[in-house]
Amino acid sequence: MKARNVARIARWETTRSAGDIDRETAVAFVVVLVALAAIVPALVTMGPTPGEGIYRVGVSEDSQYADVVASDAQLAAVDPGAEADVVVTETGITYRDTPKGRAALSTLRSATVSYNDFLMGQEPDQAAAFPVVVSLTYLPQSISVTGQPANGGQQTGGDTGTGGDAGTGGQEPQTGAGTGTGGDVPTTGGGLSGLLGQAQSGTPSSISPPFPLQSLVFAFAFLLPLNVVIQAYGSSVLAERINRRGEPMLVAPISRGDIVAGKTLPYLLGALALISVIAVATGAGALSVLAIAPLAALFLAATFFGAMLARSYKELTFVTVTVSVGLTAYAFVPAVFAEVHPIAAISPLTVVVDSITGDGVTAGQLVLSMVPPGLAAFVLFGLGTGVYREEDMFTQLPIPSKFLDALAAPLTSQWRAGLWTALFLPFVFVGELFAVAVLFVAPVSVSVPLLLGAVAVIEEIAKSVHVFAGFERGQYDRSVRNALVVGAASGVGFFLAEKLLLVTQLVGLPELDVAQAAFSPELLGASPGLLLVAPLALHVVTAAVSAVGAARSRLAYLGTLALAIVLHVAYNLAVVVVSLG
Amino acid sequence: MGSRLVLARRTLGSLRSEKTIVLALVIQLFIAGFSSFLVVGLVSLYDPGSTEGAIEVDVGVTGNASGDIAATVADDGVRVVPFESQSDAGAAFQRGDVDALLHATTQPGGRTLVEATAPEGSFRTTLVVSELKSALSALERERRGTFAQRLDRQPLDLPPEERSNPYFSFTYTVLLPLLAFLPAFISGSVMADSLAEEAERGTLELLRVAPLSLRDVVDGKAIALVGLAPAQVALWLALLSYNGTAIANPLAVLALVAGVAAVLVAGGAALALRIGARREAQLLYSFVALGAFGAASLLPQSPQNLVARLAVDSATTLTWLTLAATLAAAGVSYAGLRWFAGGGED
Repeated sequence: MKARNVARIARWETTRSAGDIDRETAVAFVVVLVALAAIVPALVTMGPTPGEGIYRVGVSEDSQYADVVASDAQLAAVDPGAEADVVVTETGITYRDTPKGRAALSTLRSATVSYNDFLMGQEPDQAAAFPVVVSLTYLPQSISVTGQPANGGQQTGGDTGTGGDAGTGGQEPQTGAGTGTGGDVPTTGGGLSGLLGQAQSGTPSSISPPFPLQSLVFAFAFLLPLNVVIQAYGSSVLAERINRRGEPMLVAPISRGDIVAGKTLPYLLGALALISVIAVATGAGALSVLAIAPLAALFLAATFFGAMLARSYKELTFVTVTVSVGLTAYAFVPAVFAEVHPIAAISPLTVVVDSITGDGVTAGQLVLSMVPPGLAAFVLFGLGTGVYREEDMFTQLPIPSKFLDALAAPLTSQWRAGLWTALFLPFVFVGELFAVAVLFVAPVSVSVPLLLGAVAVIEEIAKSVHVFAGFERGQYDRSVRNALVVGAASGVGFFLAEKLLLVTQLVGLPELDVAQAAFSPELLGASPGLLLVAPLALHVVTAAVSAVGAARSRLAYLGTLALAIVLHVAYNLAVVVVSLG
Repeated sequence: MGSRLVLARRTLGSLRSEKTIVLALVIQLFIAGFSSFLVVGLVSLYDPGSTEGAIEVDVGVTGNASGDIAATVADDGVRVVPFESQSDAGAAFQRGDVDALLHATTQPGGRTLVEATAPEGSFRTTLVVSELKSALSALERERRGTFAQRLDRQPLDLPPEERSNPYFSFTYTVLLPLLAFLPAFISGSVMADSLAEEAERGTLELLRVAPLSLRDVVDGKAIALVGLAPAQVALWLALLSYNGTAIANPLAVLALVAGVAAVLVAGGAALALRIGARREAQLLYSFVALGAFGAASLLPQSPQNLVARLAVDSATTLTWLTLAATLAAAGVSYAGLRWFAGGGED
């Protein structure tokens, strides 16, 4: 890769983009952006409520509750005789026994609480109006969140248990299941400090549980510009593939890597510039820009790969939406728990949230949030560059078939199957981390088996899908001996690369039962030799099993893949059971 | 008309053969699941009720007003543990025997000062704090009652407490509008893609050699894409009512979606025809659509609010008028697009 070539193509990409836009379009862009800039403050000041007037309350105008109804946007006053969800009369309050009626009643109740506070605020005798003043402080307890002793970082024994005995049962985290009442905790007052979980004081209704809502909204602002950038970038990549426009560049004496790097550079720099602007605007530090950078690269890499596979702009639109939705979920779901749980360290957005709230970020957190997306971006660019060639760019094939092409292209020798298995590890890592993030709120008895299944599926697919592509595209001869060699290479590659997962140790994720099941289901008390050999044997055997199927046909591949997954789950279960003793 | 229907069928056919429509539904399902996951997860963090009494918050109480607290605070989710001294209570908190501490002292003026301590950085924090909050609010109401003669105005009685679904409002005001407008937005986007691609590949010229005017081409593609949006939404509405979420005016919701889709498709098509390059057209379309939704949110009843009101059966006359205005706007935008596609003649 030559820096001069890259710079020239980057310059060309930038000037061409600017030159392509005629004056009228440029004016339209300016007009629309100015209009958007005008609408945003209007929206902020008006603050439209999507739920405005969805609950109808029958209340006469002279009733005091009419003021309550007027104070809450979700409530709309109607005549007492008219159709309503809740009716306030002299004698009392009646409501319809429907989900809507009960929700309306609950909203009216919390609106009355706020109204009473407003009423009392006008009293001359404030000591009688607000007879209770609370100051809330947070203190660490010496027990950890999952109920294990704080010093038990490495222990595997009883705490991984599915039965939920002493260790995990006593302090069981709230599960996501179940419904109930009182969801609308009114958050009057509280302010920023309340949202950020710092000490606060005031009346009982002004205190609020810690939840980094504002920081999350800010963090979301970091992802928004990425969506705009990938839209432009995807169009630019796919435009090269329309009417063979990219051909002149392909025949020029420059490498494919130079072309791709040059085309990507302006967009990456643009994304980083936008992120920096947002970081300054939201008061996040330079560290947050650094943390988002690999994620921005992953957005671009996934879009690039998608644009290399897509047949048309329509298809590209869906690919782009999938990329942005998937990656946004990956970044956003763990960050919700930024204030309460170490699991949040998975997401680069957590670094942003911590940077805004002023909490420190450890080096381990930074590494865990940056390395998986960064590596995944690198590999996706590699795969996409592999098909950045004449025979693939200008042919129209369905996405799955193009995908196989892209996977098969780099498999020029048998050992390379192992190399690419190792390179897929970031995706395995990202997928498993995401599964952990989604499942960790569930009780251990549900989450651990589900996770063992998910891990087996993700890992087996990662070990075999490119092997299948290699056989399908004729990179490997379809023989059993070949299949065994390639499968073994893939298994060894996976085993070696898996040692990368040790990075999770840096942030104490293994303390979490779920994470332990995913990342280090190790036999306790077994000899060190067995500890090394058993996983190696597992990976080699399962990879070889699915490779034998892949060498035969697509149907056989699906069958052997299922068999490999079952083997993997059985192994993991055995490990968990044995380590439980 | 026949040739337009053929074109409409071919547009749908290409979406089907590219499997993009499947991808679109998967994306919508994912977004719905994702937002529901966030809300359900968050509510269960906050909401004592959602744990069905499985969790009891033990509160260590000290101070000279602890008797008052013990009397009012102890309800279904809270268990009061009295302590003699603050240091005993602090030690029990450190050991994890109690989840929170309240040190309450009554001042000469009658005011009660409460120093509350909650565990830091734990899942239980949010739950503990919301339990403390509701308990202390009850204490506040009770104390206000005893000071009634010192107050000029009296606080209103609270409406009765009733178990209600905490996700009710979210379902109608966030989830449903999201599912309703996403397909419309994507339809407009695909319309822009489709025309821009024909223009870039030069096949738009080919289509015009066929016995079809540009207006017919636009018609054909628009029929397919405008029709697709309400069809997807109908699927979501059916799924929601199957899950027990009653949808009051399904036809009105679908009409609204079709109207919004028509406006967006007309906008996407006009931009693609005018600009002729996908990247610029698509970017401009996104900004314009974003701006249009933002501007529409400033209306007395925003599109999001319109869907919520229609579906939850709280429609007012203004709701129906806004719906009619949306459909009229759809007609006008589409007529404008046809006029534009016809080269500005007749």
